[in-house]
Amino acid sequence: MNTSLYDNSKNVFLDTVHAKDYIQLDRVSTIYQSLKDSINKPLKMILLYGRPGTGKSMFLTKLYNDLSLSKVVYLYQTPILDESEFYKTLAQDIFSTRYNGELNFTQFMKIIKGSSLDSIPIILLDEAQLYSDALMEKIRLLSDTRTMKFVITLHKTEKEDLIAKEHFQTRIWETIELENASKTELKIYIQKKLMKANCFDSANMFTAKNVHLIFKLTNGNYRDTNKLLYTLFDLYTTYESNEQITSINTNHVSNKLIEMAAIHTGIINA
Amino acid sequence: MLNTRDLEKRWLIYKIKSYIPHAIITISLIVIISLLTLFITKKKEIKTTTEVKMESLPTLVKTLPKVNNEPIVLVKEEKKIIIKQPIPEPIILDEATLKLKPSLGFMKKIQNSTLPYYQTEPSYDNMTTDMKKEDDTTKEQISQEPVNTPVTIIKEEQIQKSKITIERRDTRDDIKNIIKRFKKNNNPALSLFIAKKYYELGEYHKSYNYALITNQINRDIEASWIVFSKSLVKLGEKEMAINTLKDYIKNSHSNNAKLLLEEINSGKFK
Repeated sequence: MNTSLYDNSKNVFLDTVHAKDYIQLDRVSTIYQSLKDSINKPLKMILLYGRPGTGKSMFLTKLYNDLSLSKVVYLYQTPILDESEFYKTLAQDIFSTRYNGELNFTQFMKIIKGSSLDSIPIILLDEAQLYSDALMEKIRLLSDTRTMKFVITLHKTEKEDLIAKEHFQTRIWETIELENASKTELKIYIQKKLMKANCFDSANMFTAKNVHLIFKLTNGNYRDTNKLLYTLFDLYTTYESNEQITSINTNHVSNKLIEMAAIHTGIINA
Repeated sequence: MLNTRDLEKRWLIYKIKSYIPHAIITISLIVIISLLTLFITKKKEIKTTTEVKMESLPTLVKTLPKVNNEPIVLVKEEKKIIIKQPIPEPIILDEATLKLKPSLGFMKKIQNSTLPYYQTEPSYDNMTTDMKKEDDTTKEQISQEPVNTPVTIIKEEQIQKSKITIERRDTRDDIKNIIKRFKKNNNPALSLFIAKKYYELGEYHKSYNYALITNQINRDIEASWIVFSKSLVKLGEKEMAINTLKDYIKNSHSNNAKLLLEEINSGKFK
């Protein structure tokens, strides 16, 4: 077995958000297609929500990558919490207007009215639950002008549900919920991810029992799965570098090592 | 680089902890099942003891003449008129399957000199002669009446007004039933009863066989050794009977066995 295999496999599961790392699963593909269709509809807002680690950020990144070729799309992965800074960033990115000093909502609305755009820009806002209630209200008013379209992602918690109700209940034309992977989807996800990086040997190491255990530990959460598998392959790398690899089974992934990785990452409290 | 040794230690502790509830449940189940089994076995034992007691009941009516399962109306009286039926046709029982190996220490010493099971069937002419001999003693008091009429004992002066009805069963049928029971549960009390009955009927080879079986099942039944020795004497194996009794007396110090030995030696018992 190639000595760098475990190292390569480990890097596959680094917790990064890149459109190239997007794994196409049947259910996710359907949701993605419906999101793309919604973009083309004359709606004001699209709400994408789900528990942490269900792939919302990855979804938004993938959408940005796909739409940026044909549409005017702006992605804001990190929330701009300061209201003035938010307007200034939008004014500069969308209307190419640099504004020195404080920019308030009224001034920003004047900029919008004074400029004419060929197409309605699509603004993708990640982690929208971090925005203040006041700013969320301004975003709602901005979407009402129909000069820009917002796609926002929210963590699905009780608090965020309340935000969604208060600000977007009457305005959102499309709400899309992202869920954790099922056991079958998780297996496909792991194998596709590894095969995408040409780690065929390590992809074949995962048995149904291994996937069952991983699913039991992570509940199908993509972020937890990535974290767990990164540590798992890190363990293999350590055993390999300590020349102890012969003491463990390399034909199949050992459940013991999965549990050890879960202990290390804190998924198992031992 | 991960500390695999520490992780392995933590994993081991985690595994032990996770198995504790399973172990507790398993042990509890084993204890419950064992207790239930013990309880059921004890109940069965109590039932078997009751059955043995019930089985010994036929000996109470052994002195009464035989009737073909017909009820006898017994009324106490001074003058007795007994109607005797002829002895029914003998039932030939298949005993070929009853072969057991002795397990007693001292039995092994006399193994070579002990007669094997009697395989040949008895001639019932002898048996009927014996039976007739026994009957002769009562013939003075009885008169014969037509066949198939129930036996009635009438008392001229009634001492008690109440009537007792005793339903009798044929001795051979009793033995047959008891043999069936014995084959099912291998109870030495039953085999001893069969041995005794056969001895009474003059079928000494059968009484020898059943006494031998009884001794093999339980070597501490004095009555069984007595019947065994008596059968041997009746079968013309006096020396064998004496040796058997001597060996038994050595082990048990049985007074009855000593008395029988004296009787055999003095010629009182032939």
